[in-house]
Amino acid sequence: MSSPVLPPQRTPEPAAVADWSPVARGSHVNQTPEQREAAVKAAAAARRSKRRARLLPHWLVIPAVAILAVGTGYPTLWQLWTSLHEYGLRQQFGQPAPFVWFANYTQLLSDSQFWAVLIRSLVFCFVAASITLLIGIAFAVLMSHVGKGPRLTLQIALLLAWSMPIVASMTVWTWLFDRRRGVVNYVLDMIPGVAMNRYNWLEDPLSFFAVAAIIVIWMSVPFVAFSIYAGLTQIPEEVMEASALDGASGSQRLRLIILPMIKPVIAIVMLLQVIWDLRVFAQIRLLQDAGSSATDYDLLGTYIFKLGTGAQNFAGASAASVMVLLITITISWWYVRKLLREDAS
Amino acid sequence: MKKKLSAVAAATAAALVLAGCTSGDTNESVDPSEDASAAAGANITLWLMGGDTPEALREYLRTEYADATGGTLTIEEQGWGDALSSLTTALPDSDNTPDVVEIGNTWSPTFTTVGAFSDISDMYQELGGDSLLQSFVEVGKVDGANYAMPYYFGSRYNFYRKDIYEAAGVAVPTTLGEFSEAAAALTTSSMSGFYIGGSDWRNGISWIFANGGELAEVQDGQWVSTLSSPNSVKGLEMLQDLYSTSSLAPATESDSTPWVNINDNESTGAPEAATIIAPSWASCCIGDPIELEDGGVGTQWNDDVFGVFVLPGVNGGAAPVFAGGSNIAISAASKNQEAARVLMRIIFSETYQTMLAENGLGPANLDYTAALGDNQFAAALIASAADSKLTPAAPGWAAVEGSGLLEEFFGKVAAGGDVATLAAEYDALINPLLNG
Repeated sequence: MSSPVLPPQRTPEPAAVADWSPVARGSHVNQTPEQREAAVKAAAAARRSKRRARLLPHWLVIPAVAILAVGTGYPTLWQLWTSLHEYGLRQQFGQPAPFVWFANYTQLLSDSQFWAVLIRSLVFCFVAASITLLIGIAFAVLMSHVGKGPRLTLQIALLLAWSMPIVASMTVWTWLFDRRRGVVNYVLDMIPGVAMNRYNWLEDPLSFFAVAAIIVIWMSVPFVAFSIYAGLTQIPEEVMEASALDGASGSQRLRLIILPMIKPVIAIVMLLQVIWDLRVFAQIRLLQDAGSSATDYDLLGTYIFKLGTGAQNFAGASAASVMVLLITITISWWYVRKLLREDAS
Repeated sequence: MKKKLSAVAAATAAALVLAGCTSGDTNESVDPSEDASAAAGANITLWLMGGDTPEALREYLRTEYADATGGTLTIEEQGWGDALSSLTTALPDSDNTPDVVEIGNTWSPTFTTVGAFSDISDMYQELGGDSLLQSFVEVGKVDGANYAMPYYFGSRYNFYRKDIYEAAGVAVPTTLGEFSEAAAALTTSSMSGFYIGGSDWRNGISWIFANGGELAEVQDGQWVSTLSSPNSVKGLEMLQDLYSTSSLAPATESDSTPWVNINDNESTGAPEAATIIAPSWASCCIGDPIELEDGGVGTQWNDDVFGVFVLPGVNGGAAPVFAGGSNIAISAASKNQEAARVLMRIIFSETYQTMLAENGLGPANLDYTAALGDNQFAAALIASAADSKLTPAAPGWAAVEGSGLLEEFFGKVAAGGDVATLAAEYDALINPLLNG
């Protein structure tokens, strides 16, 4: 939540440097005093407007920083404060909240349920994010290889999936997987030798999370596909032609040329996807409404929600949220450093 | 999903209404007779839980309140599922709190012990005194002072398919053991003899109660979860057995809308269940399919096909079922205390109490139960309510319900887990929540 890194104020001003450059000095030898005065004035005006131009981004960034500070900074600080106090329903109704150091954290870390949920969430997020990425890359490559008509069709379909409100699409998804009247069971049941009539997808935690992963992947593939497609369009034609002339096969080109060139895009998309899938809440919550909200079906988001608004243990929920924040920062940190290193090389 | 959507809509509506709400008269008044004048013109908000209160009753409250004060009464409906979190966030905030609020009866201790409601002991006699349903009055008390009053009570009894029972030659059971046998005999591969969701603890606890068990008890001044007591385990094993032989419902299903299973399924023309247990007002939605005026499909009760009976006890009679119902209270943070008291008087008036009873809701004031009528539903309601039980009046009970631990525990029992082991495990999880 720190403010973005601002460029240092005291860099030498390009206009001033220009004044002392040999060309500038040489030119003003032949100037009349009037011309010189006019030139100096113009240079000063240019400096002023340049300085203003350099200050402008700082002014423009203020609203964003202010919104972040109020919208995210304040709740984060409040969450840190709450996580170090005893804070339940009594405190919500105005009774004093005793400071308890890290009691909420130690309680959480010694709870086997929390560890189970944490590990489940990490596995879920990496599996879902990886599959999303693979399918997204496949769609992007497909889009760059088909004609305009099929590509537009594909893009419109992806956009529709992307822009669908979560509650609306979740309604359809839970209907699809409904045990009694769902299309999925109906179709699978028609395959000879497969008995899926009334199979309850949401009863076993493993199939519950398989369904959840399918939904989450379906919702996030469009973003990945479009980002990577945008990256693919930036690969110069000449490089591809040259490699084709050198006799590289299609899969060799994909593996040795295309993927390395769009690696930065893939890395940032994977980072975003991991963070999103770690924090996934609405899809799981809505699927729990159709199935079960027992702890075996929880990921971090729903676990924290249940701990806080359900069991009214606001302090414990805050502590859990702070830990999720730390995990997110750790994952991002690793990625951001990797990205920076690659940029530098 | 529909429930979720309407909750979202209600929350949105609430935000809109609250934004336009004027803060009323803040004068403190102790003398009840001054309330009406002090409340003149005050606009207040009433939160009702779920759709249990019919529209005609809501309209009556709005009209009467406007007549009494000249102000506007806004009624906002909260979905049961999200109500706890809405209450937790809205009640402490004097700018956003509802002035009068209906709460699940079992949540009363949680909110009264933290001081969420105003002390209305001085109104107790005026609102009905000893004629009020005492178990609900008790659950709304702290240190002898009244904070939450009964709003209405319901009960749970069985609805069954007369046609299916007759065709199979099964008689209506009179003991809990016979009930299990009858349900098992009626079960086929596509129809449950007794449809009960595995995680449906609100109905499942009847088996604990019927076998003399309790959910929690006070031991040495502290609330202790007693799922693993011998009697509770006995009841849970009976329920587990019943579930495995007679219910095709998923172990993960809670008590959402069990009555859809006893009506004929639109696609198969046969019901999913021969017997269900449901709150008394579910009779609204059970019956033969009929076409409604707006083209939709409704139901019409048919005495030849459907019947009701009270869940029998272990040795006959009625089993103690969960005493459903609501309490009602004034938010301590409300700026319109006087106006809220005016509304409370309207709610506890003879007319309104009678209207509740006429709509199948057990009236808070037992003087008016006659208005429930003498049909089979009223008879089953009164018979099942007579032995009904409340969940423990522990300060942390709402947290126990909110945590979802009971759904989880009953689901695991239904899935075939070892009852004694699970009960001990969940006792340990529930204990820290019980004492608030």
